[in-house]
Amino acid sequence: MLPLLPLLPLLLLLLPAAHGAVERVGYTPSLTKSPVLEGLTTGSTFVLDQPRCVFDKYSNADIWLVVALESTAANFSNSVAPGTAESAFQNFPDSVPAYMTLNATLANYPCPKPAGDITVLRVGSETSCSGDAARPTCNGPLPGPGPYLVKFLALEGSEPVAETGWSQPIMLRTAKSSNSISTTDGGHSAGMIALTTILSILFAILLAGLVAMFVFWGSDACGGSSTFSKPEAVSVRRYNTHHVYDQPAARL
Amino acid sequence: MAKSEDCIHILQGLLVFGNVVIGMCGIALTAECIYFVSDPHGLYPLLEATENDGIYAAAWIGIFVGFALFALSILGIIGIIKSDRTLLLVYIILMLITFAFEMASCITAATHRDFLTPNLFLKQMLERYQKAEPANNNDKWMTEGVTKTWDKLMLQNHCCGVLGPSDWQEYTSAFRSTHNDADFPWPRKCCAMDAQGLPVNLDGCKLGVPGYYNSNGCYDAISGPVNTHAWGVAWFGFAILCWTFCVLLGTMFYWSGIEY
Repeated sequence: MLPLLPLLPLLLLLLPAAHGAVERVGYTPSLTKSPVLEGLTTGSTFVLDQPRCVFDKYSNADIWLVVALESTAANFSNSVAPGTAESAFQNFPDSVPAYMTLNATLANYPCPKPAGDITVLRVGSETSCSGDAARPTCNGPLPGPGPYLVKFLALEGSEPVAETGWSQPIMLRTAKSSNSISTTDGGHSAGMIALTTILSILFAILLAGLVAMFVFWGSDACGGSSTFSKPEAVSVRRYNTHHVYDQPAARL
Repeated sequence: MAKSEDCIHILQGLLVFGNVVIGMCGIALTAECIYFVSDPHGLYPLLEATENDGIYAAAWIGIFVGFALFALSILGIIGIIKSDRTLLLVYIILMLITFAFEMASCITAATHRDFLTPNLFLKQMLERYQKAEPANNNDKWMTEGVTKTWDKLMLQNHCCGVLGPSDWQEYTSAFRSTHNDADFPWPRKCCAMDAQGLPVNLDGCKLGVPGYYNSNGCYDAISGPVNTHAWGVAWFGFAILCWTFCVLLGTMFYWSGIEY
């Protein structure tokens, strides 16, 4: 009996492992590529493609989404049960490495995907339950910019049976302060500079003309020949002066 | 002296014609500036809130300058036909004063137009749109003006933000402090609306599915009317001033040649 005793715990350990081998399906969750979405990543949400035609063998399984930070993903264990404090959204990322949300069955992800349908999962869309500890599977808004890793985990009962790989790191958007917008870098347009210059020159010429008018008030600066008279001015007529005509000698 | 008489009459005719044109342009300037001051596109609250409403000041000056030009052109016509030195001197001096005012109006319109960049409207929109707690009455008035104007702009022009809906994501804003990011990545008015004024598909709008939200920025809808306003005042005024310059020079020359 004695030599068997150390083997017993080993056998006990091996038994569950042999029973629950988690199949790794060849699918990596990714952000939606088609159609192009403006809100693909926002400050607290991101949009994933639904895992269609991935878990086809597991028609009885619940498919959960596991969300973790890149730095904590390695600490997540597949044996954590959904809907408990160890996988609660409200405890992420303070006391749990990842949370599980967006519970679905294969019926929610029919295969093949109908053409023209937009099949996405918006992570972070449920704002009403984000503080409610009674809703640990809440799909609440993400608490920071990330980077996040996600994977899908299929559970039959409470046994994990299949999982996808971890996704690429997903960074969310961070907002800059509106004070950082500079409003003084406009500069002056060429039109405005031309307009100002030309108008200033014209005004200067007019002022110079006004000064010239006053300086030459009364004097015929332009010369007598260009002086013109008012309409009612009297015109000077030439008078013939009387003089004695020289009589021809024949008249005498 | 016949040739000189003809020259006089030609000069008089030209000056009278010049003054007639000034008079008509004055009326046109007044009409144009009244149109701009009446703000048909409803953009004045945006400019008032940026404290950069110089183009409106320029338009107000333009209204009065237009009237002055019309009145002075009549005075000028009378003075030229009567060849009265006093009348023409008064005309020249008053015209110079009007010239100076119109010059100020043109330069103000052109300079202030250069201040109205996309960044200016972006910063103002982020700081004032749906601001929750205004500091005083003036602030409240401006916030309400900006919010109503943006709502109307986004609904009527099917646009969102200054450069696009991403404005609301890239920068923090007064709107963001009262509306959480998950429910309101951008304001509801950016969604495609049905006839009742409700979003056609709210989830599609929040996701940003093409067709369910307004993807263009509103800057074109703002800068179009503002540019028309500013350049209309500045360049039409500039054209009038160039013509007035020639007429004034001619009048000065005519005045200096009148016998007294």
